[in-house]
Amino acid sequence: MTLYFSQLFQKFNTLRGRRVFIVPTRFGFVYAGFLILILLGAVNYSNSLGHLLCFLLASMGWVAMHHSYRNVAKVEFINAYADPVFVGQAINFNLVVENRSHSTSYQVLLASKPLKSQSWNLFKRWGGFANSFTIARLNSIEKTAVNYRIPSVRRGYQVLGQLRVESQFPVGLYNTWSYFNSDAKALVYPIPQGELPLPKSSNTGGERTDLNQKGDDDFSGLNNYRAGDPLHAIAWKALARDDVLRIKTFTGNQGGQLMLCWQDVIQLSNTEARLSQLCEWILLADEAGLNYGLKLPNTSIDYGYGSHHRHTCLSALALYENE
Amino acid sequence: MNKSKPSNSALLWLISGLTLGAIPHFIYQPIWVPLIFISMVIWRIMAIKYLWPLPTKRFSSLKILHLSFAGITFLLLFISYGNLIGRDAGVALLTVLLGLKLVEIKNHRDYYISCFLGYFLVVTNFFYSQNIPTAILMFVVVIIMTTSLISLNDGSKSLSNKGLVKLATQMLLQAIPLMLLLFVLFPRIPGPLWGLPQDAHSGITGIDDSMILGNISQLILSDEIAFRVKFDGDIPPFSKLYWRGPVLWQTDGTTWTPLHNDDLMSTEINFTTSGNEYAYTTTLEPHNKSWLFALDFPSKQPMSPLSHYSYDGQLRSLQAIKQRQQIHLKSNTQYRLNPNKDDYIDVALTLPEGVHPRTKQLAQSWLKQSAEPMQLVNIALRYFNQNQFYYTLRPPRLSGDTIDSFLFESRRGFCEHYAASFTVLMRAAGVPARVVTGYLGGEINPVDDFLVIRQRDAHAWAEVWIQDQGWLRVDPTSAVSLQRIEQGMSTIMPAGFNTPLFIANSQKLIDLWQQVRNNWDALDNVWNQWILAYGPELQKEFLQKLGMAKADLQTMVLWLVIGFAVISLIISFYLFYHLPKRDPVSKLYYIFCKKAARAGFAKSKHQGPLDFSTLLKHQYPHLNKQIDYITSLYIDLHYGKKTASVLDLQQAIKQLKFSQAMH
Repeated sequence: MTLYFSQLFQKFNTLRGRRVFIVPTRFGFVYAGFLILILLGAVNYSNSLGHLLCFLLASMGWVAMHHSYRNVAKVEFINAYADPVFVGQAINFNLVVENRSHSTSYQVLLASKPLKSQSWNLFKRWGGFANSFTIARLNSIEKTAVNYRIPSVRRGYQVLGQLRVESQFPVGLYNTWSYFNSDAKALVYPIPQGELPLPKSSNTGGERTDLNQKGDDDFSGLNNYRAGDPLHAIAWKALARDDVLRIKTFTGNQGGQLMLCWQDVIQLSNTEARLSQLCEWILLADEAGLNYGLKLPNTSIDYGYGSHHRHTCLSALALYENE
Repeated sequence: MNKSKPSNSALLWLISGLTLGAIPHFIYQPIWVPLIFISMVIWRIMAIKYLWPLPTKRFSSLKILHLSFAGITFLLLFISYGNLIGRDAGVALLTVLLGLKLVEIKNHRDYYISCFLGYFLVVTNFFYSQNIPTAILMFVVVIIMTTSLISLNDGSKSLSNKGLVKLATQMLLQAIPLMLLLFVLFPRIPGPLWGLPQDAHSGITGIDDSMILGNISQLILSDEIAFRVKFDGDIPPFSKLYWRGPVLWQTDGTTWTPLHNDDLMSTEINFTTSGNEYAYTTTLEPHNKSWLFALDFPSKQPMSPLSHYSYDGQLRSLQAIKQRQQIHLKSNTQYRLNPNKDDYIDVALTLPEGVHPRTKQLAQSWLKQSAEPMQLVNIALRYFNQNQFYYTLRPPRLSGDTIDSFLFESRRGFCEHYAASFTVLMRAAGVPARVVTGYLGGEINPVDDFLVIRQRDAHAWAEVWIQDQGWLRVDPTSAVSLQRIEQGMSTIMPAGFNTPLFIANSQKLIDLWQQVRNNWDALDNVWNQWILAYGPELQKEFLQKLGMAKADLQTMVLWLVIGFAVISLIISFYLFYHLPKRDPVSKLYYIFCKKAARAGFAKSKHQGPLDFSTLLKHQYPHLNKQIDYITSLYIDLHYGKKTASVLDLQQAIKQLKFSQAMH
């Protein structure tokens, strides 16, 4: 019996859909006040058209409520994805929303806050949203991708958190909104900075295969571009010639092996400064085309190069003691 | 978000809405009001189009200019109206303030306040006029204002102007059912709730309670409607349609005035009526006085408004008629008023000392022929008839002693000249007489059979008192112009008076014009009877007609809630539910599937068109070709390059018959 009821309740819940809040804006309240004044005037003067206008405006307000609801009720958050950034850069969420209604929605505002508030206080629950972004138009039965930017605060994972979809369209008398909980997150690397020079690379390996070793001293030819290749190596002139993205490859005899160790930065004052220094070094090493590795107190990453390797190293820094 | 500046297109919409709301006021406002308003509108438009500076902090000199405009406004208001509280002054203040606000709008709050005040401006229109054009204007302004609000909230301009207006109009149309429900069922409260300003009902024309010779000529030329009458049965003959208004007793030689009100109230009138009784409903336009203009002579007081008979036979409401009012009345055209005695006979015999010497002389001379009052009346009427008296709406100016110069020199005049001079003659001959004013006749509107009485039907006649018969009506105008009495005013109006000049030459066009006017009047009448007169009483009456046994507050609110719920459901359904739309190709394929289903092979959902055709072909090998053809057409039209013709598909499906199955 209990099971039956709980199933029924669940069914009802899915039927009802998600909760959509609708509350008059302050202009909505002022509008209502004006209507009462008009009604009083109409009664006082026994003015029939005054009554008619008052009722017309009241009905318009009522109809506007339905339009306001329709504008937001069927807008769904689908998912969001963002590339990693360094602290201080804006996280650029590629955010997909879908308008499932049969009418176009206009002027839909997105806003987010990292954590859902459970406070009994509605204002606290409703407040705290930031980074509003206006979507001018959402076509009916269509998915739309938008660039939703939020500032990055700290290294580590930054969650999108609770997303609010809100609108005052069409007449601004009502504010309609609903919430979505998103598990989308963006990885934030430490800020790359530090004064220490890059440690000397060791060429002791001996098993150097000079032909394959890439460096940036002597131009050796053009290769087709692959995702992750450094931008500074792109052959712009060649691109202008035949519209094929290529990169210049160099052979260098400097490209050695470099292990970036926690020990090398231990003299810095705190963890964040050390991580920033390591971050800076990784970028320098990557740019120099070195074969580098990373040794942190809890992890170590073997020698490697390329964008994927760089990401692995930077992630390790981002998530260090910050899971 | 609310701090942001309203967009230019939103501002232009607001400006047009406010201007449209203000224009009807310009007609009667002192010239400086529209001047300030329009110059502010131009200022703002120039700021939008050509980036003229506005009175902001950066341009302090403009701010001073703007403030001085406000100061000048208040000064001019005091000079023009003497106060700020009255109706006219209030409307002028609102108009100018809205204009001044227009150049100041810098954020959403200012914008909304101006928009809402604009709605107020529309309401103030209704103090002056509540006719159909005003109502249409109201709807137009509301659409424009709503458009402006949508435009304001569409900051990224995703909607074109056409799209904005379309959405606003859609919202208005969706609001109309609920508006009508509220209009009919919202419990009406009888006003006023508090005092009205002094000038709330000024500017209403009608018959005055005094008569100065020459005054009614202004009324005669007014085409305004005084009241409309609907008879329950027969309409009395035209010459009996005397609508009784103020009775004038006292004269100083030129001005005629009624007796003091308290005197007339304190004495009970004594009257009897006989003959045909006519029941009718009068819809009286507001005239700010208390006369009900009943048909001479009302046999009973109406149920509403509260009224009483004065001693001289006027039916008067206890309160001035300030709104259009429906009155159910009954009258008889035969009656006797105070037949045995009248307390004010002395007044009815009084003439001021030393005026109208020649008139008095004439009356004295008649006394030699007869002392019988009835005979004296006839002598006087014969005098008007047989001397060269003319009925004209444009009499020459009377100089000196008005009655003497009318009777012996000009001899040209209309009803009030004849009524006044006849009364003077009678009094001089010793017959008690008084002047009665009111309306005579009216016009039947063939469209709705209402008798329409206009201000131009205003009339004055006389009454003489004869022992045992009481006050008898004598209309001296009839001795001069029978036409006026028997056929009505319109026959003696100058040609082209109520028709535009350019069609005055063609009788056909005049008739057409008259027909249009009749239709419009009838429409206007319906509007007045049902929309404008809809107050507490009519609401009760109407709801009872609709079948509401007890139209009290509870029932009204109950039905209001029910209707509200129903309309809301319909609106939600309309807005949120969408019928799946089938294209013609799917429809045709659906027919095909149905045919197969009737033959016993329904297409199940998991089957694609090809699977289904395989199944059918297996069952109907002889239809192989047709089924393949239909399926290939459908696949091409629905999924493919759409090279096939829909008509072919239609034909093929039509020709297909499963019944030939061979089992």
